[in-house]
Amino acid sequence: MRVRTIAVLAAGLVALLGMGGAAPKKPVYMGARACGQCHDGAGMGNQYSKWLTTKHSKAYAVLSLPESVEITKRSGLRGQPWKEPICLGCHSTASTAEDWEKDDAFRPEDGLQCESCHGPGSEYMSEEVMRNKAEAMKAGLRLPTEDTCLGCHLEKGSHTAVNPNSTVDIKQAIPRIAHPLTKPSQLRAPPAPRGGDFIGSSACGACHKGPDHGHQWDVWRRSDHARAWAVLSTADGRRIASEMKVTGDPQLSTQCLGCHAVGAEANEGVGCEACHGAGKKYATEAVMKDPAAAKAAGLRIPSTTGCNHCHRETHGKPFDAAKAWTKIAHPTKLPPPPAETRYKTPLNLTFRPHTAELWVTCEAGNVVAVIDTQSRRKTAEIAVGNAPTDVAFTPDGKRAFVSNRESDTVSVIDTGTRLVTSTLKVGDEPHGVLTDAQGRRLYVLNTSSNDIWVFDLATLKFVKTLSGGIGPWSLALSPDGRTIAVTSTFSNLTGFRKPLKSEITLIDTERSAVLDRPMVPGTNLMAGIAWHPSGRFALATMNRTKNLVPMTRLMQGWTITNGLAVLWADGTVDQVLLDQPGAGFSDATDVAISIDGRYALVTSSGTDRVAVVDCAKLERLLKSASKQDRETVIPNHLGKSADFLAGFVPTSTSPRGVTMAPDGRYAYVAGSLDDDLTVIDLKTLQPAGRISLEGPREITLQRKGERLFHNAKISFRRQFACHSCHPDGHVDGLAYDIEADGIGVSPVDNRTLRGIYDTAPFKWEGTNATLRRQCGPRLSVFFTRNLPFTNEELDALDYYITTIQRPPNRHHTPGEAYTPAQKRGKAIFERGTTNDGRVIPLDNRCVTCHMPPYYTSRKKFDVGTQQALDRQGTFDVPHLNNIYDSAPYLHNGMANTLEEIWTVFNPYDKHGVTNDMTKDQLNDLIEFVKTL
Amino acid sequence: MKYLLAAALLATCAASAQPAGSGSKLPFVYTKWKQFTTENGLPNDHIFAVKSDGPRIWLGTENGLAMIDKASGKVKSWTEKDGLPWRVVTGIDVDKKTGDVWLALFGGGLARFSGGRFEHWHQMNSGLVNDVAYGVAVENDNVWVATTAGASRYNTVSREWSVFTEKNAPMEEIWNYGVNYRDGKVHLAVWGSGVLEYDVATNRWKDYLDPDGEMEIDLYRDDGIVHVITTQANYIDKVLWVSTYFGVCRYDGRNWRAFYNKDSGNPSDFNNNLRARSGNEAWFATDKGLGAIMDVATNTWVTYTRDPKSKTGKAVVTRDKTVLETVEMGLNLTHNYILAVDVEDNDIFIATSKGLAWGVGEGYYGGLRERPRALASNGRASK
Repeated sequence: MRVRTIAVLAAGLVALLGMGGAAPKKPVYMGARACGQCHDGAGMGNQYSKWLTTKHSKAYAVLSLPESVEITKRSGLRGQPWKEPICLGCHSTASTAEDWEKDDAFRPEDGLQCESCHGPGSEYMSEEVMRNKAEAMKAGLRLPTEDTCLGCHLEKGSHTAVNPNSTVDIKQAIPRIAHPLTKPSQLRAPPAPRGGDFIGSSACGACHKGPDHGHQWDVWRRSDHARAWAVLSTADGRRIASEMKVTGDPQLSTQCLGCHAVGAEANEGVGCEACHGAGKKYATEAVMKDPAAAKAAGLRIPSTTGCNHCHRETHGKPFDAAKAWTKIAHPTKLPPPPAETRYKTPLNLTFRPHTAELWVTCEAGNVVAVIDTQSRRKTAEIAVGNAPTDVAFTPDGKRAFVSNRESDTVSVIDTGTRLVTSTLKVGDEPHGVLTDAQGRRLYVLNTSSNDIWVFDLATLKFVKTLSGGIGPWSLALSPDGRTIAVTSTFSNLTGFRKPLKSEITLIDTERSAVLDRPMVPGTNLMAGIAWHPSGRFALATMNRTKNLVPMTRLMQGWTITNGLAVLWADGTVDQVLLDQPGAGFSDATDVAISIDGRYALVTSSGTDRVAVVDCAKLERLLKSASKQDRETVIPNHLGKSADFLAGFVPTSTSPRGVTMAPDGRYAYVAGSLDDDLTVIDLKTLQPAGRISLEGPREITLQRKGERLFHNAKISFRRQFACHSCHPDGHVDGLAYDIEADGIGVSPVDNRTLRGIYDTAPFKWEGTNATLRRQCGPRLSVFFTRNLPFTNEELDALDYYITTIQRPPNRHHTPGEAYTPAQKRGKAIFERGTTNDGRVIPLDNRCVTCHMPPYYTSRKKFDVGTQQALDRQGTFDVPHLNNIYDSAPYLHNGMANTLEEIWTVFNPYDKHGVTNDMTKDQLNDLIEFVKTL
Repeated sequence: MKYLLAAALLATCAASAQPAGSGSKLPFVYTKWKQFTTENGLPNDHIFAVKSDGPRIWLGTENGLAMIDKASGKVKSWTEKDGLPWRVVTGIDVDKKTGDVWLALFGGGLARFSGGRFEHWHQMNSGLVNDVAYGVAVENDNVWVATTAGASRYNTVSREWSVFTEKNAPMEEIWNYGVNYRDGKVHLAVWGSGVLEYDVATNRWKDYLDPDGEMEIDLYRDDGIVHVITTQANYIDKVLWVSTYFGVCRYDGRNWRAFYNKDSGNPSDFNNNLRARSGNEAWFATDKGLGAIMDVATNTWVTYTRDPKSKTGKAVVTRDKTVLETVEMGLNLTHNYILAVDVEDNDIFIATSKGLAWGVGEGYYGGLRERPRALASNGRASK
């Protein structure tokens, strides 16, 4: 025993010695100005000045231009471009670094700086290290290649869509920014700071930035004033200086500096204080808010007279003061941005108990609309969180609960005052909400975190989390109040090329615990659910997606059929189709059953119809059928719907939620893309009017595209829409066998459409360079088997797809510190050596192929994942943004979890070097990957 | 003469060690037992884990999960063909809030059984550190797993996995045998590393090691944990109970106290497991029967054993090794090799290498009481 103790101590000692003393330092970003302290002047190739004259130096400043806002929208980003990490990834430096990784003097506003390409400089920046290239490289200095540039400069769809001239020919661009050192290099003492009361433009920019200050600092940064000193180092600058008999370095000449360096430091050129006076005495917020005090403290309000001091006929150039004044104008208040067309997009609707009030969640409008069904008018709108999805009430109708899918909250509304009285924090992407019959508990379905949160209604306190299916979506309380049935919109991860199956989760309301989980084989996209008033069964909408056979097989209704799951009270499940031969019922979305139990109304968001199911006939059909027919024939039989369908009712565009009025006379259907409700007369089974939610009348290109995306008319027999495989613009979690090349040949995992415009090429094999090609002829040939979209339709569809937003990352909020595990994982993601010190080749490091900001190099690589039936082994590098939310993984979806990518499918370290890692290191890496 | 004096002196000392008035008081003795084996429908007789969950008893066996309905006595079981991800279930805990049953799988990792659905986490598809899992414990939103290569913690809300090994915990060895959570503290029983205590509020570790080092002998009695090869640790009433392969012990936050077969009623020093009912009562699963300390102050134990030949059982009440009472009964344990114990309300549940014994605690009381000598419901009157 003692021997072992000694051995342990010895091992510890060895480990300590092996550490080689102090842990290696983590380099931090110093900023371009720190580099410029040495890297400027003729003896150093004027490198810093040269950078100042490039677009790189104003890369951040252009983010406040109006066109940047439009580019952001087309990139599927929801924030302001000057704050969006994706934008900052190419328009600034150190965008993924935490605060501690940046020196105090570092300023992201200085744009794309030296360290973007050369790496954080703290450890190699000293002259001693820099004079030894090998040492400098060891300390973190990187020498960029063309690929480094291409990380940002590969053509981006969003940028060229807004500014067709934004493409960069990298072969031509590299010589333009070339900044070779003069050999032998010679350091130049930088010009002495001006001193006195000058504080520098950066100090002004600390406040005078952002939309509330007219982006004033950006305006200056984009102007020639910011480069006035730098241009003195150019050939033109030197020529003019020579003509003016300036001897020596123009950047040090007092004759030139009088107009080219009028700031705290020479290298800021003509800064704010050149016109407004030295700022030390007026720069404080208190003084600046008092114009008289500011003026008294030295703030000058310049006029064109001041400009003429330097600009009049200078260097033989004519000067139009008025025109120049306009060019550099930087008012504090900006003209208001163009009004955004904000639709309502009604999704779900519920009657407030004991009233004729219908409450409608409006996803795009971020409101709940209150409809008086007597007058058929909207009587109120209540602002809630982002993307309100479902609404439920306490049994007494005094409180409403609205799930806000993007905000991860539930708004609690006093129905009397129509005020939001509190907001509950819930899980990821809350969807369905419901209270129990006694009003004791509130159930919230978190569709992204796959769980169900339970709240106590008396206290509004969180009680517990129940494990749900994959993507809990809608829920319905049984008539006896004992059971809540919950649909799951995604199939379970059943394994590579295994048939799908979806879960219905049954909750015992007495215990608030999961009672049972009946499975519905062969289905996905289960959505709406409703109980028959008898309590004998519930109906739930579903798709039957045949992803394991090539999309050319027409048997049993082709690739996707649509219908209902019938959940019997004993937990068994039947399935019936609502498709008919030749006419699909695409994307069955919601269901409601009439008060008398006679009819079930089912919406089809892909065909703009409601199917009316005769419940008694449906029951008879199933109960009279044999067990085998119920299991294998009826779920796939297109002709059976004729036995129980009472008809179809046309609705407005893309019907989603449906509900029955308590009086049993009418049903109401949310027309999500028409901003209205269709009223259906249950006696005549005909439309009985529309109720407008008063959305915008204008139909934008984006809205046109959204309608096309959700409509099945593009597909053969109207069987599916784009939305059928890309619900909410995302994925359905399935791998498809697309082409007619045999069963199982080159199956491919579905990929998200959220925020993808700048990640071309598309498809796993990278065969589609543009979305237009993907959504045009290719879609027609391989998917829809019908006439393709017209050019006009493609314009609209393309526009819409590019604006599909990526939800906020649920594992990390930009700007916030990483958790310790995430921080360790980031170091692993960026590492260049293995645990035992071996250098990992550059092209086998995580960050090389998955480079920020999209975490893709947009190239194809062989990472050793080719399977026997795959046509090729090289695949498009997928972007990693919100990767945690798009299981399964790899090109054919064979990895169910992120872990399996490396534990199972990377045996030879071809997909990054990972086999040296310990389990805790892999866990850390995954925690970081989930933040991207 | 001097020997007589010495004996009298010793007897006086022994008597004075007992609290006044406890001499005639006796602990509760379980005399009513039910037994479950494969004959009752268990999938296997080797029961590695037992967890009483209100109206149900969950059993982890060498070949499947079983559930006994307490009211009817009916057994339901799940093996791999029923979706159980791995045949050997070595640890069970129930999330009281959700009713979910968490399973430690020996070689198969971790599973959750919820609403009839098994979910499976293992070292290839998740952050679980190792698939050889011995124990599992639910701590708020976290699930802890004791494995042969460290402990894992899974946050069921954030889905984050944490691994605890020698790198980030005072774990001299990483072979985790047992894990338990109660009152804000997670305790890990680690083979060769004593007991590790994790304070949930502060995220800090504290270790309990044998001050005698790794010696099998207890050089200085009651100076700490009896041995670093621990099998289980339970924390209740601010008292830490520890079982080892070399005896058991108790720590009240100030003093340690060791109990060995030589000086207590525990039938063996080879303890596979333990389950504490209070700071004053704990049950030990040994290789030679079931030991229950029923009153710490008086060192009063009840030892339950089974005669493999006659297949009858008996309970022996001792105080400082002195037999106070023997209750012979026709039925008690199903085997003397005990692997796990659970306690709920008045009942006890004994997992053995040959089925489950369920002691029905009608009239149970804690501590000691004046009572008539016990009479086994299905046995003979005690001596």
